Amino acid sequence: MAELSLQHIDKIYDNKVQAVFDFNLDVKDGELIVLVGPSGCGKSTTLRMVAGLEDISNGRLLLDGRDITQTPAKDRDMAMVFQSYALYGHMTIYENMAFSLTLRKENPNVIHKKVLAAAEILGLTSQLNKKPAQLSGGQRQRVAMGRSIVRNPKVFLFDEPLSNLDAKLRGATRREILLLHKRLQATMLYVTHDQTEALTLADRIVCMSMGHVQQVGTPLELYDSPNNVFVASFIGLPPMNFYDVKVAGDALQGNGFKAALTAEEKKILAAYQGKEISLGVRPENFIEGDDIKVTVTNNENLGMNTLVYGSLGDTGVKVTAKLKGWKNYKVGDTAGFSIVRKHFFDKETTNAIRGDK
Amino acid sequence: MSVKTSEDKYIQRDRMRYIKNSACSNLCYLGLLADVFYFVLLYRQDVHTYYYTIQIGASVVYNLIFMLAVFLASEGVKNYKKNYSIVLLVAGVMQIVRIFVMPLKALRAPTTVNGIDTTVMSGKTFTLCLVYLGVSAAALLFSAALNFIRCSALEAHLKELEQTKA
Repeated sequence: MAELSLQHIDKIYDNKVQAVFDFNLDVKDGELIVLVGPSGCGKSTTLRMVAGLEDISNGRLLLDGRDITQTPAKDRDMAMVFQSYALYGHMTIYENMAFSLTLRKENPNVIHKKVLAAAEILGLTSQLNKKPAQLSGGQRQRVAMGRSIVRNPKVFLFDEPLSNLDAKLRGATRREILLLHKRLQATMLYVTHDQTEALTLADRIVCMSMGHVQQVGTPLELYDSPNNVFVASFIGLPPMNFYDVKVAGDALQGNGFKAALTAEEKKILAAYQGKEISLGVRPENFIEGDDIKVTVTNNENLGMNTLVYGSLGDTGVKVTAKLKGWKNYKVGDTAGFSIVRKHFFDKETTNAIRGDK
Repeated sequence: MSVKTSEDKYIQRDRMRYIKNSACSNLCYLGLLADVFYFVLLYRQDVHTYYYTIQIGASVVYNLIFMLAVFLASEGVKNYKKNYSIVLLVAGVMQIVRIFVMPLKALRAPTTVNGIDTTVMSGKTFTLCLVYLGVSAAALLFSAALNFIRCSALEAHLKELEQTKA
C-alpha cells in the first residue's frame, strides 16, 4: 500500500476565500485517518485535493515520496467512495464493480477474478446479478466500496460514506468498513462529521475547524487530552460542560459552585493562581456527590445510563451529567454531583492548560 | 495469440453467470435491421399494381410477427434462455425461404414500362434483397447456434458448481 504526506497545503478559491490553511499530515502505510469537523470546516475539500478533484493552491502532496501535487486524478492511483454511492442504475452490481477495469481494457478473466474476490470480501456474491435499485442503502455503499477494491488502489478515500444510511445500518456498515480495513491493511482517508464514526474507526483523528487543523491524535488522545475548547466540545457525546471559574488557592470558584483541586491539578494551574480559566467537565465525569448542587430540569433514562440536565443552583449555568444506572430525578429536584476528572483551558487562547508549558 | 489454459476456460464459463449474452442479442438486432432494409426496399417498388395483392398483406403481417418474435428472442438469448434458439432457428430459415417467395417471383414476372419489356424487379434490386435476407438469416442462425452452445456450457458449469458445493 502507500504512505501519504500532506505538506503545508492551502486551498484558496478564485474568489479569494480560503477553505484550508496550512494542512500538514503524514499518513503511514495501512493507517486509517479520519478527518472530522463540523460542516464547512474544509475536511471534504482536503480529501478532494488529495483525490485530485480540487487543485492544491499551495503546498505539496507526496505519495510514497513522489510529488503528485500536479498529477491528474486518474493517474493518482486512489479510489474514492462517495456519500451518494454514484452507481450506474442500468448496470448490474457485477457490471458496476467491473466498470472501471473494463474502461481500462483489462483482460475480462482478470476482471472477473477481481470482482468475485471483492464481492466475497464484502459479502455481495449473491447480489452480483441484481441492479442497484434492488439493494438496500448499506449494500449499495458496499458496492461502491467494491468498485474501489477491484482497482486495488494505493489509497482509499471515503467522503462521508455513511451519511445516507439510517442509524442502524450506519452502525453495521461502519463495522464492515473497519473489518475491511483490517483485512486489506490499506491506507485510508475517511471524512465524516460524525464523531462516533471518527472515534470507532480511526487509527488517528484529524479534527478540523474553519479550515485549520485543531488536533491530530488517536481517538483516546482527542477524548482524554483535547488541545483546545473546540476539540473538547466537538469530541464526546453529550458534549463537555464548560464553566468560567477562578483559581483560588486549593479550589476553583465559579458561579454557583466551588470545587477542590488535587495536588496535581494545583501544580498544573500554578501559573493561573487568581486568574479566570475555563473548566471543562465531561458529562460522564460527574458522579453523585456534594461538590455542586444542580436543579434538575430533565431526567432521561437510557437503560445503562441516565442523562441528567439541570442548572447550577439558580444561576442558570447549564449542567449535563451522565450517571451510571437508572436514576429517577424529578424536575425541580436538587441533585448533588462531584467531579472526578477536570479539563482546564486558558480563557483567552482557549488552549488546554497542561501545566508543562 | 495466447493459449487458453483450462483455468481461462473455466473463468470464461463462470463469467456467463454475470455477463449478459450480448453477442447473441446483437446478432438478433442485426437480423432485424437487415430485415427492415429488405422490406423498405421491397415495398418502395412501384411497378404497376404487381405488389398490391393479398400476398403483400400477408407479407406485412409476417414482418410484424417476425420482428416481434426476433425482438423477444433477443431479450431471451441475452439472459441465456436456450429455448429461444428454436425461435431464432425458425426465423432464420424463414428468411431464406422468403427469398424464393416475393423477390424471386418479382424477378421472373414480365412487365412493360413506357413500352419497354422488362421484369417487375430489376436484377440489381433482387441482388440487394438477397443480401439483406441473407445477412438477416445468417445473423439469426448464427445467434441461434451460439446461444445454444453457450446455454449448454452454462448449464454444465452450473451443474458442476452445484456438485462442488454439495
